[in-house]
Amino acid sequence: MGKLEGKVACITGGTRSIGRAMAEVFVAQGAKVVVNGRDEEKGQKCIEEMDAGDSVSFFPGDSSEQSTVEGLVDHTIETFGQLDICCLNSGGVQMTAPVADMTDEEWKLEVDWNLNHVFWGMRKALNHMIPREYGRILVTSSVEGKLGKPGIPGYVATKHAVNGLVKVAAQEVGTLGITVNAILPGVVETDILRDTGPASAVAMGLDGYDALVELFTSDSAIKRPNTVEEVAAVALLLASDSGRNITGTLFPVDGGTMPY
Amino acid sequence: MGELDGRVACVTGGTRGIGRAIAEALLREGASVVINGRSEEKGAMALEEMGAGDKAHFISADVKSREGCESIISGTVEKYGKIDILVANAGGASNHAPVAELTDEAMEDSLVWNFWHTFWTMRAALGHMIPQGWGRIIAVSSVEGKVGKPGLAIYVSAKHAINGLVKSSAQEVGTLGITVNAVCPGLIETDIVKEVLPVAAESMGLESYEAALDLFAQESAIKRLNEVEDVAEVCVLLTSEAGAGITGSLISIDGGTAPY
Repeated sequence: MGKLEGKVACITGGTRSIGRAMAEVFVAQGAKVVVNGRDEEKGQKCIEEMDAGDSVSFFPGDSSEQSTVEGLVDHTIETFGQLDICCLNSGGVQMTAPVADMTDEEWKLEVDWNLNHVFWGMRKALNHMIPREYGRILVTSSVEGKLGKPGIPGYVATKHAVNGLVKVAAQEVGTLGITVNAILPGVVETDILRDTGPASAVAMGLDGYDALVELFTSDSAIKRPNTVEEVAAVALLLASDSGRNITGTLFPVDGGTMPY
Repeated sequence: MGELDGRVACVTGGTRGIGRAIAEALLREGASVVINGRSEEKGAMALEEMGAGDKAHFISADVKSREGCESIISGTVEKYGKIDILVANAGGASNHAPVAELTDEAMEDSLVWNFWHTFWTMRAALGHMIPQGWGRIIAVSSVEGKVGKPGLAIYVSAKHAINGLVKSSAQEVGTLGITVNAVCPGLIETDIVKEVLPVAAESMGLESYEAALDLFAQESAIKRLNEVEDVAEVCVLLTSEAGAGITGSLISIDGGTAPY
């Protein structure tokens, strides 16, 4: 008997890395899962690799767009009849720059991708969950939701913002059987970090991608990156019945990086 | 196949309440577990109720002394050959009073019971964990380790001190395969709370024990108290392999009470 038997989840940015690891553990525990991603091809590959038959479905679209995020919730309910666990996981930066050089375009993209996407998905999911008096909302935030690093102002600001949003929503629906939590991973060597890390390193004045990873891990007690499995294990706890009394929490998975 | 097959755990104050729930969860996951308490009789009863045969063992000792604490750790190693997991769970406080009226004895008793006991058992356990390159230490702190309430200074101070100890030691052993975390539960109506909360309620200027329970519940988002199982499942996560990337964390299990 799995810990998520009969539950239905959706995950933005679920085809690779952290979101994918969440999808894998959810399916392994009996849930049905819809994963979202921009790239049709990667979506199909994800479905093939997961090899979970009808238990997993792919919903294509860019999670920085409202229509995608709301469409994902609708699609999940249409496909599997309900939505119990909403993981708002996608996010990142496209171009890094110090505040003085930040462009409006990049800033707006990061606000849409990291913050508005979470708001749109949360609002839509809550409207389905509140009448049912059951739900789990998990936001993949970051250590940067509590700290700050030069060169990634949009990321830091939007991750701080989602942490605030999580705290408010948790208080609003606390008695309705719905929990709202944020998971705050330290640096995880995801595909998206490998894609965008080299440019981030330059913006932060560092000598390449390895120096970037080193900088983040040197802040930690474990002196290594975190893994997607470590994040997914926390997601499972919070999504399962065992997590019913944990809400409004900013759950660190950062190897001892954050001071509070 | 449990998450903790082959592991040896030790839980102070493990015969009842939160510690007992943690011990049972660790047993369920395959660990051998030493529980500790003062009363031989309660220890024998707990072992009988747990029905785990040779996988569970009771050590009678008073955690309010260094000798007592060290005997729990050495007794664990004697019985099962090593110690992988320490849950410093015992604690409480009696003789609450507002700071202006606090006696030295009340403060000292709380510090010894909560803080010194955590330090003594942690130090002794680290002596075994550092050479073996693997360990999990969990201090059962409290939401009162993050916030303060009038009239509870002895408890609040001791739990804050535990959180500081956890952060420092996590940094020290972060690269040695050892994690050190605090779990910070909201109020749970355990036997010890039934014993000590009436005095605390008076010190807090509340009408009754029930009023104190209600005060804690109303501060949360879920408007109810936490349960021992909430804490036990987080302990399973932290002690599992997937918990390797979480250290130095003060994990709130409080239904949305602590603001950070």
